Amino acid sequence: MNMKWLEDWFEKIEPKGKWSWLGSTYEAFHTFAFTPKTVTKSGSHIRDAVDMKRSIIIVVIALIPALLFGMWNIGYQTYTSNPDNFIFQYSIINCWWFGFLRMLPMIAVSYIVGLGIEFAFAQYRHHEVNEGFLATGLLIPMIVPVTTPLWQLALAVAFAVIIGKEVFGGSGMNFLNPALVARAFLFFAYPTHMSGDSVWIANDLWGSDAIAGATPMGQLATGIHPSASALDMLIGTIPGSTCETSVIAIALGAILLLFTGIASWRIMLSVFLGGGAMGLLFNAIGYNDYMQLPFYYHFLMGGFAFGAVFMATDPVTAAQTNCGKWIYGLLIGAFAVLLRVCNPAYPEGMMLSILFMNCMAPLIDHCVVANNIRRRSNRNTLSTQINQRKEASHE
Amino acid sequence: MKTIKIKKGLDIPLDGAAERFVVDMRGVDRYAVKPPDIVGFTPRLLVAEGDTVTAGQPLVEDKNDPRLTLPSPVDGVVEAIVRGEKRKLMEVVVKKELKDLKDLKDLKEPKGLAPEAPVWWMIKERPFGAIANPDHKPKGIYVSLRDTNPLAPDVQFALKGREHEFEAGVKALEAFAPVHCVKAQGPHPAGNIGTIVAALDPINKGEYVWTVNAQDVANIGRWCLTGEYKPERMIAVGGPAAKTPHYYRVICGASLQHISEAQLIDAGYPRLSSSTCETGSTRIISGSPLSGTTVAANGFLGMYDQQVCFIEEGDKYDFMGWLMPGFKKFSFSKTFLSGLLGNLEILDTLGMPRLSYNFNTNVHGSVRPFLFTGSFERVFPFDIYPLQLIKACIVGDVELQEKLGIYEVEPEDFALCEFIDPSKTEIQTIIREALEVLRKEATA
Repeated sequence: MNMKWLEDWFEKIEPKGKWSWLGSTYEAFHTFAFTPKTVTKSGSHIRDAVDMKRSIIIVVIALIPALLFGMWNIGYQTYTSNPDNFIFQYSIINCWWFGFLRMLPMIAVSYIVGLGIEFAFAQYRHHEVNEGFLATGLLIPMIVPVTTPLWQLALAVAFAVIIGKEVFGGSGMNFLNPALVARAFLFFAYPTHMSGDSVWIANDLWGSDAIAGATPMGQLATGIHPSASALDMLIGTIPGSTCETSVIAIALGAILLLFTGIASWRIMLSVFLGGGAMGLLFNAIGYNDYMQLPFYYHFLMGGFAFGAVFMATDPVTAAQTNCGKWIYGLLIGAFAVLLRVCNPAYPEGMMLSILFMNCMAPLIDHCVVANNIRRRSNRNTLSTQINQRKEASHE
Repeated sequence: MKTIKIKKGLDIPLDGAAERFVVDMRGVDRYAVKPPDIVGFTPRLLVAEGDTVTAGQPLVEDKNDPRLTLPSPVDGVVEAIVRGEKRKLMEVVVKKELKDLKDLKDLKEPKGLAPEAPVWWMIKERPFGAIANPDHKPKGIYVSLRDTNPLAPDVQFALKGREHEFEAGVKALEAFAPVHCVKAQGPHPAGNIGTIVAALDPINKGEYVWTVNAQDVANIGRWCLTGEYKPERMIAVGGPAAKTPHYYRVICGASLQHISEAQLIDAGYPRLSSSTCETGSTRIISGSPLSGTTVAANGFLGMYDQQVCFIEEGDKYDFMGWLMPGFKKFSFSKTFLSGLLGNLEILDTLGMPRLSYNFNTNVHGSVRPFLFTGSFERVFPFDIYPLQLIKACIVGDVELQEKLGIYEVEPEDFALCEFIDPSKTEIQTIIREALEVLRKEATA
C-alpha cells in the first residue's frame, strides 16, 4: 500500500515555531498512522517488531468478545424483564443494537474525557502520549452498570486518570489499576447507582432508569439461592455490569492474551486457584448457604473471571517477579471469595481484592527480590571463607 | 572441555548465515588498532604518523599500567592517527609494507605469556569486561567454544588447523588460573561468556575471572610457540543485506573495505573509494548484530570482533504498523501473525518454506516506560532479576546494583532483553554506563 501522500502530509503539517507546543499531540497522531522511521543507534542493531501500541491493541482486541456479548446482553436483559420497553422488534441483532446504542455514549465519554486529560498532561510535560489508556478507556464502561449516568462516568474517568495515574507520572508509574480506580470511585461516591437490585437492567434506550433485577451475587448476599443456573452464568445471560457476565466471551479474550503472551498465565491461573481453594475451604466449613455454594460458582458470578483475566493481569500494577505473580494471584482469588462470602455489604469482592493486592504487589516483589539478594550475599560470604581457608592452607 | 545446557534464550532467525568456504584476506593493506574497544584502557600514543613499525611493536600503552600495550598487527608505516571528540584517540591506522628479510629475523623467539606480551590485550576481565589486570588473581579463565550470536562463526570451523596453537594457548593461560573451555548447548545467549560463568561459578564481589575468545587463545598459543605476533581471525561475514555470505580469514584490525565492496557493489551500490564511506541504505556492523558497532564501509574490524554483518537501514515509515497482521515481522511476543505461522511445523511437512523475516535497523516503535513484565526473564539465563537491576541502574543506586548482581553481567548479556523490549529502552547503554561508574570507583 502506497501511503506516501499521507507521509508527506504529516511532514507538511508538523508543528513548528509558535505551534511547536502541540508536538505531543502531533506525535500521537503521527505514530498512530505510522510506526516511526527511527533506527537503532546503540546496543542491539535489530529490534523485535513489538511495541507498546501493538501490545495494548492486543488487549483491546481481547476485550472485543466480551464487549460484543455484553452489548447483546444489555438488550436481552431489557427485553426479558420488560418487553414493552424494548423499542425494537425482538431479534438477536436488535438486542445487540439496543446494547450498542446504550454502550456507545459510555465508551465515547470514557475515551473523550480520558484521552483529553492524557493529551493535556502529555502536552504539559512534553511527553509522548502513552497508549495505556486505549485499554483502560474501554475497560471502564465495561465494568459499570449499564444505567450509570454519563456525568458520573466522566467524573470517575477523570478521577482515575488524574489521581490514579497521572499524579504518579503516567502509564507505567501508577500502582493502582486505573480502570478499577474509576469503578471504586463510583462505588464509594454513588453507591446507590452501583449496587443493589435496580441498576443492572436498562429501562429503555436512554436515561439512567433501571428495571429491578438482581445479580446472582446480590441474591446470595440477601440469603437467596441464585435464580440463574450455572449454565446461564457461564454463557452470561444474567444481569450484571455491562460486559462482565459472559465467562465464555471472557475466556476467548483470555486465550488471545495468553497465546500472545501479553498477560501472565501465572497470575491468571493463580487467581482461579486461590479463589477455588478459598471456595473449597468455605465448603468444608459449610456454616451458611453462601459457604455451601459450589466453589466454581465464584468463577461464574460477578466480576471474578473478568477481573482475573483483564484486571489482575495488568502488568504495571501486578507483582513483577514470576514468583511474586503466583503469590499475588493466589491472594487476589482468595480475598475476593473471602470478601464475597463474609461481607455481604460488599457483594463484589473482586474489585476491592485486586485493588488491595495492587497495594501489596510492591511488598511481595520486595520480599522475592530480597530472597535473591540474600542468596547472593550468602554465596559471597561462602566464597570469601573458602578463599581465606585456601590462603591459610597455602601458608 | 565442559558442557552446559541452557534453556532460556532466543535464536533470532536472521537471514544470511555465512557459508563454509573461506576467502583469504590476510593480504589487506590497511589495519587499525582501536583503543576505545578495550574497556579500562587509557591510551598513551607511542608512535607518530609516518613511523615505521613492526608487527607486535606497541603503538599505544596504558597510562595506568605501561606494561599493557596495543601492538601493531602488521609490519608497516603509521598512516593516520584518528581522533574523535575531545581529541579522544579512536584509531591508529597502519599501512602494511613488506620489509627486508633481514629485519624479519629479530623478535622471533618463543616467549612466555606475560603482561608485556603483545597478545595480553586479548585477555578480558570480568567484572566490567576490561583488559585483564595482571595484578589481579582470577579464579578462573573461561573460553567459550560456541558462539551463539546471530550469524556468528562456528568456533570449531574457525579453529580448524589451529588445534596445536589453541592447546599451547590454553597451556600458557593455565599459568595464571585454571582454564575452563566450555561448550554451551541451547539458544542464544548460551554461548556468551557471561552465561557460562554464571552457570558454572558466578562472580562474587571482589572476585575476578578472565575470558578469552577461542580464536585469541590460538593467537596467544601462536605467540608462545613461535614468538611471532600474527593475530589471525576467521570472521563470519553475513546478514540479510550481504550478497554472498561466507567466511574470511583476516588479520585482527583489518580494513573492511574489500569485504564491503565484495558484499555490496554487485548488489547495485556505487563503487566505494577510501575517501567515501557511503554504503547506500546498508549498515555494516562489526561484531554481533545484537551488540556490535556500526562501521563505515572503509572502516576496520573491531578489536574483539569475529563477525561482520550487513543489514538494511530501516529508516522508513510503516503504515499502521501496530494494527497490521505482520506476516514478515519477527517478534518474540507472538503478537504478530508471523508468530503463529512461523512456528508451525506443519509448514515443513507441507513442504512450504518457513517464513523469512525482513529484519532491518528500525526500532519498530517509540520509547515508553516499562509496562510489561516477565518477558526479560525468558531470555535471561542468570539468577538475577533483570528488570529490577535495570531500574537500579537507571536510578543510579550503586548499593542496590551490587546486591542485585551487577558484577555478574556485561551489556551484551542484556542484548536479548533489549531486542525484545516493547518499551524500546536502550538497556545495554544503561548497563554500560552503570558498570562504567562502578569500574571507575573500583580503580580509583
